[in-house]
Amino acid sequence: MDKAITVAALTVAYGAATALSAIDLEIPKGKVTVLAGPNGCGKSTLLRAIRRLHQPKSGEVRLGDLPISGLKEKELARHIGLLAQNPSAPDDMTVEELVRLGRYPHQSMLQPWSTADGEAIQAAMFGTGVSHLSDRRLGSLSGGQLQRVWIAMVLAQETDIICLDEPVNHLDMAHQIDCLDLVRRLNQEHGRTVVLVLHDLNLAARYADRLVFLKGGSVVAEGAPVELMSEQLIEDVFGISCRVITDPVHERPLCIPIRNSSPRFRAEQATQL
Amino acid sequence: MPHASPTKSLRAHWRIGHRSLFAGLALVLFALMYLSLALGYRLYSPEEIWTALTAFDGSEADVVIHDLRLPRALMAPMVGAALGIAGVIVQTLSRNRIASPDTLGLNAGAAFAVVVASGLFGVVSLPGLSLASALGALVTSFVVFGLAAAAGGISPLRIVLVGVTFAGLFDSFVNVVLTVNETMLDQLLFWLAGSFADRKLDLAFNGLPFVVAGAALAVSLARPLDILQTDDSTARGLGVPLGVVRGLAFVAVALLSGAAVAMAGPVMFVGLVVPHAARALVGLGHRLQIAAAAMVGALYTTLADIVARFVIYPREAPVGAVTAIVGGLLLLVLLRRRAA
Repeated sequence: MDKAITVAALTVAYGAATALSAIDLEIPKGKVTVLAGPNGCGKSTLLRAIRRLHQPKSGEVRLGDLPISGLKEKELARHIGLLAQNPSAPDDMTVEELVRLGRYPHQSMLQPWSTADGEAIQAAMFGTGVSHLSDRRLGSLSGGQLQRVWIAMVLAQETDIICLDEPVNHLDMAHQIDCLDLVRRLNQEHGRTVVLVLHDLNLAARYADRLVFLKGGSVVAEGAPVELMSEQLIEDVFGISCRVITDPVHERPLCIPIRNSSPRFRAEQATQL
Repeated sequence: MPHASPTKSLRAHWRIGHRSLFAGLALVLFALMYLSLALGYRLYSPEEIWTALTAFDGSEADVVIHDLRLPRALMAPMVGAALGIAGVIVQTLSRNRIASPDTLGLNAGAAFAVVVASGLFGVVSLPGLSLASALGALVTSFVVFGLAAAAGGISPLRIVLVGVTFAGLFDSFVNVVLTVNETMLDQLLFWLAGSFADRKLDLAFNGLPFVVAGAALAVSLARPLDILQTDDSTARGLGVPLGVVRGLAFVAVALLSGAAVAMAGPVMFVGLVVPHAARALVGLGHRLQIAAAAMVGALYTTLADIVARFVIYPREAPVGAVTAIVGGLLLLVLLRRRAA
């Protein structure tokens, strides 16, 4: 298995609180890797540390064989694209103005705009189906359209690796599927390595080639969704008793939550009764 | 820019190119600068203006045109351009469309620094006062942005709250200093209201390098400033070193608003109003936005300076009062539209 990114003994702390402790992980090249786990497990922190938005307390992240700590800002931005959680831009910015920002790491003072830049933004808008919106202002778009436009901006960056931090958080069900189908198509047709943070376990199982479960700042399990999603493991990670069946349409594991089984929650319930 | 960006800017709407737009603005600016020489308590003919500028012979007309009107015809556009560009940068850095060198307290900080430098340390030289003014604006911008960011991430609301607080603080410091020192009060009162009247030509020449340096720095930051319109994570994801760009942008703002305050005193709300007009004209790209803000700012203050001579004719109003009325009304409209 070719690896795009290696995380080695990575520890990240916010002040005194440790967010990630000694994480070892390999992100396979050309695959969709989904980071999942309960709130506060460190999945977003791990994604951001992979993109060097957090300085590690110890350990390192390597791009191929290169530690990312040695790369220049723009160099790193030509390798790894990031769709941040709840990204923002002015409402009166147009779609094309936003997508053009994705070309920044490829430009310099001496060469502010090239033909390649123009082609990249056209391809990115076409690939995400937003070409017809290019003159529209961001404030006039629906949530689903807006998220496609942000993905177009990250695509215009033309990176081998794309990180998306909870990209479907505020979308309705139709747009969640729409957005993740788009991400998978980019992976399959363009061979881009995708790292996703997803909240929804069933969406994670449906779209991941490789699923990584985090809990309390550590990786507790990783593997293909079919192998990984056992009722016992889900109970351990998420604190929920559940049934896991096979989704009859996509033949991926599907988790049916039954009840919160964490000891603390059970204790609270008991006192209320 | 090989690819004309299809934005719904007025420029695109009117179907005119960038060159025609800027040529048009320049033409209007020259016309206004000429009117600034011609109009006032006395009106002068083109011949009188021409002789005053080319063959100065000490006549009353020559003195008024050369010593009184020429400095303000040159200084008004410089101050307007400087405050317009500073407004664009400050609004982008704070991600807030009602931010400006006024609402963030930078003009008040610069004014306070000038009052302290001249009142307490006896600085009288123009370069000394300009430097004090720029330093005052720089220190204030670091303090205001630093405090606003202290709670993690710069919130557009917090930064204006902190800025308005500091503007109030500096204003009262200035009042305290001036109350204690009454001779200074006489000298500084008109300056503190913001005005281009009774300035020496030297002051314009002295401010010029600050404005040019600030504008050049602003233009060189145009592309990273484009990116800074997005949130911090996205901007860093695109490879913008936030700390470096913000630091340099503060220096540009300090040079520009510092020079403007040193020349004219705090001219209110120019930095608030002008960026809105610039964006409407050319869209959100900073290279054009900065250029447009410089032109529009120059036009605006030059026009306001002419208007100030007539609103309470035959006496003259401080230009800061004129710009504050226009700016105050626009601020109300923006707040109502919740554009902030």
